[in-house]
Amino acid sequence: MTGQTSRRRRDRAAEVPVGSNRTWTKVVILLLFMVLAIVFLVPMYWMVVSSFRTQGDLFADFTNLAPSTFTIDNYVRLFQEQPYARWFLNSITQSLGFAALSVALCTTAGYALAKYRFRGNNILFMGILASQMIPFNLLIVSLFFILIQLGLKETYWGAIIPLAASPIGLFFMRVYASSVNDEMIDSARVDGASEYRIFWSVALPNLRPGLATLFILFSLEYWNNLLWPLIVFLQKENMPLAVGLAGMVNQYRLQYDLLLAGSALATVPIIILFFMLRRQFMEGASFTGTGVQ
Amino acid sequence: MSTAQVPSAGTDLAGASPGRRRWTLLDARLAPFVFLTPFLVVWIVFRIWPLIQAVEMSFQDVQGLQNNEWVGIENYQGVFENPQFMQAVTNTFVYTIMTLIILIPIPLVLAALLDRGRTYRPLVWRVSLFIPSLASLVVVSFLFRVILSENGLLNSALGTVGLPPQPWLTSASLAIPSLLIIATWRWVGINMLYFNSGLVNISRELYEAAAIDGAKATQQFWHITVPLLRPTIIFVLIISVIGGFQLFVEPFLLWSGGNSPSGGGLSVGLLIYRTAFTSFKFGDAAAMGVILALLILVVSLVVFRLAGGAKALR
Repeated sequence: MTGQTSRRRRDRAAEVPVGSNRTWTKVVILLLFMVLAIVFLVPMYWMVVSSFRTQGDLFADFTNLAPSTFTIDNYVRLFQEQPYARWFLNSITQSLGFAALSVALCTTAGYALAKYRFRGNNILFMGILASQMIPFNLLIVSLFFILIQLGLKETYWGAIIPLAASPIGLFFMRVYASSVNDEMIDSARVDGASEYRIFWSVALPNLRPGLATLFILFSLEYWNNLLWPLIVFLQKENMPLAVGLAGMVNQYRLQYDLLLAGSALATVPIIILFFMLRRQFMEGASFTGTGVQ
Repeated sequence: MSTAQVPSAGTDLAGASPGRRRWTLLDARLAPFVFLTPFLVVWIVFRIWPLIQAVEMSFQDVQGLQNNEWVGIENYQGVFENPQFMQAVTNTFVYTIMTLIILIPIPLVLAALLDRGRTYRPLVWRVSLFIPSLASLVVVSFLFRVILSENGLLNSALGTVGLPPQPWLTSASLAIPSLLIIATWRWVGINMLYFNSGLVNISRELYEAAAIDGAKATQQFWHITVPLLRPTIIFVLIISVIGGFQLFVEPFLLWSGGNSPSGGGLSVGLLIYRTAFTSFKFGDAAAMGVILALLILVVSLVVFRLAGGAKALR
């Protein structure tokens, strides 16, 4: 690979005189991205550094970027004054529960649409995909009543089930499932395996990378989601993080110190996870870009 | 009953015993529906049914769970006469169009600059610009309430380059620009990722051939990259329209309770939420929702047309 590129460059340098400019353009582009990266990362950096400042230091100057003082007092008071630990735990269980449920629904349905031909397959798929266009803002009113009718208000299930049948997730798993080798499925059939056995022992093992990607994408989506859990939960102790924090942000006088600690604690674990599972995160975030191709 | 239900990958069951074969066949016909049922049940109960109900409610005087009175188009009339709604529609429309103008070309160019060894360590920059999209919009809104405040980071940055501080969150005319600053910060990285995965699929040879013919980098960009990325561009345009029109969290939290100065930051999504859950006018909220859905549909179609969507699908 590298050999090829260097040969190409040598060839071009031979015929095109601008070859020597290439290093310069590379450096200019590099500088551009260094500046951009700083601009894009400063807010997060400031949040983390400021969450460890003493109150006096924090309120003296909101533009201070240097780690001037260090205290964990903000975090301690956050846990004392708000049920933050509860919110955090709720967020974890709800995010994981939502991702597990949604991945299960999308995988089985996506597999069925990818690997079986039956009347209406395509129309059904298009219909499901088109429903992604329905704005959630339109649904909240009637969903709220359905939630009450089903007795799911203030419940864990009420928060996760309504969002679980994700058209995008189904789309993703359908693309993924169609790449499973048909010959493997056929030979399992010849061996007398039932369709469910084939799904479980032939298809699923091959879908594993896709499952992981979708699971991460959905967990993150729920972790960051506000609107639906905001409607489901009014009791402080049931809320996930986003809703609890939103209640703190939705005040006229912000408790900046507590909010900084709370925000940093809601974000930093996600960033750490991101670096551990970068490939899945980025694939999950960009899959539809390739899917369209 | 139906004959069309056969497994796609031709069923050769010669090896199975006759009794077993019947079961397997039945299995194969039923299996797709068994696999589909859980998804479909949840999808119908929590997406299609509420859609039908919402449309119904938009023509009703909704008092509670039952016995709602039909009022014809009264809700719609009321909504269109409501100056707040018209302001919210204008704001949301302007916001969405501006996000398209900012968040398509900039990430596209940035993604192209990181493509094909144009600079060092492309992954580092891709990751750096992507990180903002990992944060919850709640956290983002809070952070920018501080950054955009009078003595916040943005004004101090403006000061260092000799520009006067701006009343970002306290003036009506700067409400949408503030929302756009946040959108840019949060979405550039993700849109770059979309474009990047599209760019990977463009054959290198095309560029080499163009270079041999003497095409400059900008010419290559306009005549190879942009046309071949058209499907991705259209995809990003459509999801940006759908996302932009549903703007809710940022205006809800950037100003306490969503009370932006003279409604400069009021979005349709926020107004629907308030109409339903603060004023309890469910019928009006449903009517607004229906109008919003139609707006999204129309704007998506227009954008699709303008971007040459039909050509891309062919």
